[in-house]
Amino acid sequence: MKQSPLLQHIQQQMKPGVITLDGFLGTDERNLIDILIDDDGTVRRLGRTHRAIARRMQYFRDAGYEGLGEFIKVDDYYEVRVDSVRGKLPSPFGGPALYQKVNSIVRNLKLGREIVYTDMHIHFARDHGFYEGKGSLFRIEPEDLITILEVPPEA
Amino acid sequence: MITTLLISVGLVTSISVFLALLMVIADATIANYGEVGISINEGSKELTVKGGQPLLKALNEQGIFIPSACGGRGSCGLCKVQVLQGGGQVLPTELPWLSEEEVQNNVRLSCQFKVKQDVEIKIPEELFLVKAFQTKVARIRDLTYDIKEVTLELIDPPEINTQAGQFIQFQVPEYELTDEEVYRAYSISSAPSDNKRVELEIRLVPNGICTTYVHKFLKEGDTVMINGPYGDFYLRDTEREIICVAGGSGMAPIKSILLDMVDNGISRKTRYFFGARTTKDIFLLDEMKELEEKLPDFTFIPALSDPQDDEQWSGETGLITDVIDRMVDNVQETEAYLCGSPGMIDACVKVLKNKGIPEELIYFDKFA
Repeated sequence: MKQSPLLQHIQQQMKPGVITLDGFLGTDERNLIDILIDDDGTVRRLGRTHRAIARRMQYFRDAGYEGLGEFIKVDDYYEVRVDSVRGKLPSPFGGPALYQKVNSIVRNLKLGREIVYTDMHIHFARDHGFYEGKGSLFRIEPEDLITILEVPPEA
Repeated sequence: MITTLLISVGLVTSISVFLALLMVIADATIANYGEVGISINEGSKELTVKGGQPLLKALNEQGIFIPSACGGRGSCGLCKVQVLQGGGQVLPTELPWLSEEEVQNNVRLSCQFKVKQDVEIKIPEELFLVKAFQTKVARIRDLTYDIKEVTLELIDPPEINTQAGQFIQFQVPEYELTDEEVYRAYSISSAPSDNKRVELEIRLVPNGICTTYVHKFLKEGDTVMINGPYGDFYLRDTEREIICVAGGSGMAPIKSILLDMVDNGISRKTRYFFGARTTKDIFLLDEMKELEEKLPDFTFIPALSDPQDDEQWSGETGLITDVIDRMVDNVQETEAYLCGSPGMIDACVKVLKNKGIPEELIYFDKFA
């Protein structure tokens, strides 16, 4: 689909070497608008919203932060570790905020599955419904987020 | 009619070709800045470099290394340099990292600022001591399931002068996860007196470019380029009691400080609180025990936040902040050294301040 000049600019910002070494799009050659529409379709099909996903991501991030860099039990069957590496990144979508390189590792012990995301991913999901392009090292499948974090449908 | 059309098309094509040519010539001439001069610290060092490249890279090529944890991508804000002349306007990509005062004082991010004309800059004198080192991996050992200790033997130059607590930059070559060299900063865990080697403790970060390289690809015998030393996290020369707090790979600079205390006969009362989740996350217990024997008034206090039922753990339990809260009082003349994640540092600073340690006596190396 043809996209607006604004999205075109954002897509440029997501290319390798602009903000991060590998960029945010991986091997995905589609227009950003198509990536967003595709993931939005997945989230809608599963009866969730991007905000609900981001809220759940933020919930585990905040709960895990209390573990002071080590895994901590959250609720009945989750283990979460929130850790940081040096550095901060601006969002390719613009804005003055800088996102610390904070990794949240969430283990769902009931399912025996784990997912890793950053503070930037929470911003991406909440504000833009973006989960990175296919083939990106840090791409997160929205379906995995919904399953592992057990994202509830919004009331 | 057709003739007019053909003339119009010809005219438009000629103008387009002319403009394209103009752009090519402009690119080759205007954008070619030739050689430019960099005068450092009021002329104490004068360099001639190729114009148009980032200041960080230009200095790097001349053997002057400015600390940068992100490898020049403008995402760590560490590579600040004062540009006294020839700086021009601060770029939007620099602004998030600079305070108003820094902007007024012409501080720039050297990875973003390109040298297009002669410039005068000011850098801390100690950066002249920073060098690039060729090293060989002498040993890799597992400290835990996700932390490796990497010992690098210095080849050229063969010795390094460091202060305990400082860090180096590790160069990751091209490999599966990166198609260009990148640098990452790691604290040195060995003693400054052990100046023919550099020991690092590196925790695996999911999808981390450098940590994945170290954990999955690096082998004993490999060549590694590093540069350093950097940093102002070091033991202050006072008579105060010392509280150290760390978790995970935050162990590294604290261990270096303790080894340095042994070497220099420093016998100040020291308590080292180390937080981990289970016994699987605790390491260097034997080395810490040895330090307790060598340092007359040193106590290592490991604490588990989630000891498992099958673990024979008789030590402290709870979050490290709870343990400090329980065990620390009477903090007259005490200073603290912390290393770890921002969450841990922030929580510990709060507890230590509540205990009465002034904020200016709490020194930390935050992974942020």
